[in-house]
Amino acid sequence: MERITGAEVRSASCGEKPEVIPVESLQFGEEIQRLMTPENGSSFTALLELPANQAMELLHSPEAQPVEDWTCHCRPYHPDSLNCTPIFPSDASLLERASMFSVFATADNSPESSSIPPNSSSNPQKVKAEPLDLDSKPDSSKPHAQNSNQKSKKRKEREKKGNGNGSAKMSKRCVGNETSVADEKLPYVHVRARRGQATDSHSLAERARREKINARMKLLQELVPGCNKISGTAMVLDEIINHVHCLQQQVEFLSMRLAAVNPIIDFNLDSLLAPESGCTTDSSHPGMGMPLMWPEGQFNGNRQQYQQLHHFDGFHQPVWGREQNASYLNSENSLLSYDSSTNSDSPNVLISFLEEKLRK
Amino acid sequence: MKPTSSIRTRFAYGFLRAMKRLRNRRRPAASSSSSSSSAARAAFGRYRKLKMVADASMASAVGSRRAWSRALLWKITRRQALVRRALAGKRRRSGGDDSGIRRSVVVENEGTQDHHHNQSGVAQTDILRRLVPGGESMDLYSLLGETAHYIKCLTIQVKVMKNIVDFCST
Repeated sequence: MERITGAEVRSASCGEKPEVIPVESLQFGEEIQRLMTPENGSSFTALLELPANQAMELLHSPEAQPVEDWTCHCRPYHPDSLNCTPIFPSDASLLERASMFSVFATADNSPESSSIPPNSSSNPQKVKAEPLDLDSKPDSSKPHAQNSNQKSKKRKEREKKGNGNGSAKMSKRCVGNETSVADEKLPYVHVRARRGQATDSHSLAERARREKINARMKLLQELVPGCNKISGTAMVLDEIINHVHCLQQQVEFLSMRLAAVNPIIDFNLDSLLAPESGCTTDSSHPGMGMPLMWPEGQFNGNRQQYQQLHHFDGFHQPVWGREQNASYLNSENSLLSYDSSTNSDSPNVLISFLEEKLRK
Repeated sequence: MKPTSSIRTRFAYGFLRAMKRLRNRRRPAASSSSSSSSAARAAFGRYRKLKMVADASMASAVGSRRAWSRALLWKITRRQALVRRALAGKRRRSGGDDSGIRRSVVVENEGTQDHHHNQSGVAQTDILRRLVPGGESMDLYSLLGETAHYIKCLTIQVKVMKNIVDFCST
């Protein structure tokens, strides 16, 4: 009610501004300072921490307030002074009023977006942005129940506009002071936006999305070896692409090697697969918890058994050598029968397989 | 039966089983060819099949939880269907091999460029999309996530296959 009317009044006063843009006159300054009071006050509020209800009383006072008070106090007016806390108007009443305004602003989440002293810049974009903000904020503040988001957004905007003015460092420091005093728990994201960028929710959402993407890029950096030292998204992406391509090539080469080795190894693989499928009673290797190790352990055991059988029967070897060339049918039959006997332990399976081979 | 079924174990088992099946299927068909020229072709055919088997077993080990594994499995089944259809058609016409199909399939995959220099002309995200299976229709955020999982699974695959090769070649 009162708040809305106050906002409307302010927006009305802002509505005049685009026409007055090029004139950096006293009048313009007054209008702007009236707008600026919330932002001024926010810094004051941080220090004074006045309750919000007092803001309601003083809502109408600024209109009744003589303008010259502001002008005389704010004439040594440069962006830094208004953005930074150290310089205060000496008048106590002004102080109070300013603080009330700020309290009102922060409590209501209403426009404190005009964080920049816009009179320093005759940038039409910014001036237009303010009325937009002023108009949009009263509407958006109610639906957005997230105070913290609003506040962080405003802080981002403030920072943006501070950068735009060129007093980047000062504004950032002041913003930091404000946040440290006012809201310690906010997930404060330092975002540096270019001058004149829109402050609407779209760009903010984009920025949030970009932060998510940057977090994922950091994860990827950790995955890819040697990426931690590289800075810059492009180089990191290059490294990632390189790594993926290298891994795919490695898989290709390994499969080629396997294909080349393949005709010889089917025997071993069959015996390897048998214990794996019926392996609960297998005790020859410590455990299946290390699958990368178990093939080697198992194969070593098998190899020993092969050697023992070699001692027994010399013509096992020619049997194995013949297998590749001629006895496909035989081997297939043996494999089929071998499959049926896969439930037993590995040495038994091996022996049974060899016996079948010997029979044929 | 299997202890802790991680991606590694599932992949190892599946891959070895698939290799065995591959060899069993291959044996009766390969009995006819014995000349040296066809040996190379046979080796190449084995290599292609083995690579497909490796990818398929990797994707099956991951399951359908990940977009890239789903895309990979779909690609492989589609390719298999094509190959089978072409094989059936060619067998009807003549007893020739299906190397034509495979060559076209190979050509498909040669689109990747040299990645050792900064890709400024072609967008890097496009290259990444081409590399990661199923990356064409994903937004950047999920693409990065899929890339991370894909890298992890590729390293597992390489380790397991290296172990198998090392064992078999000794």
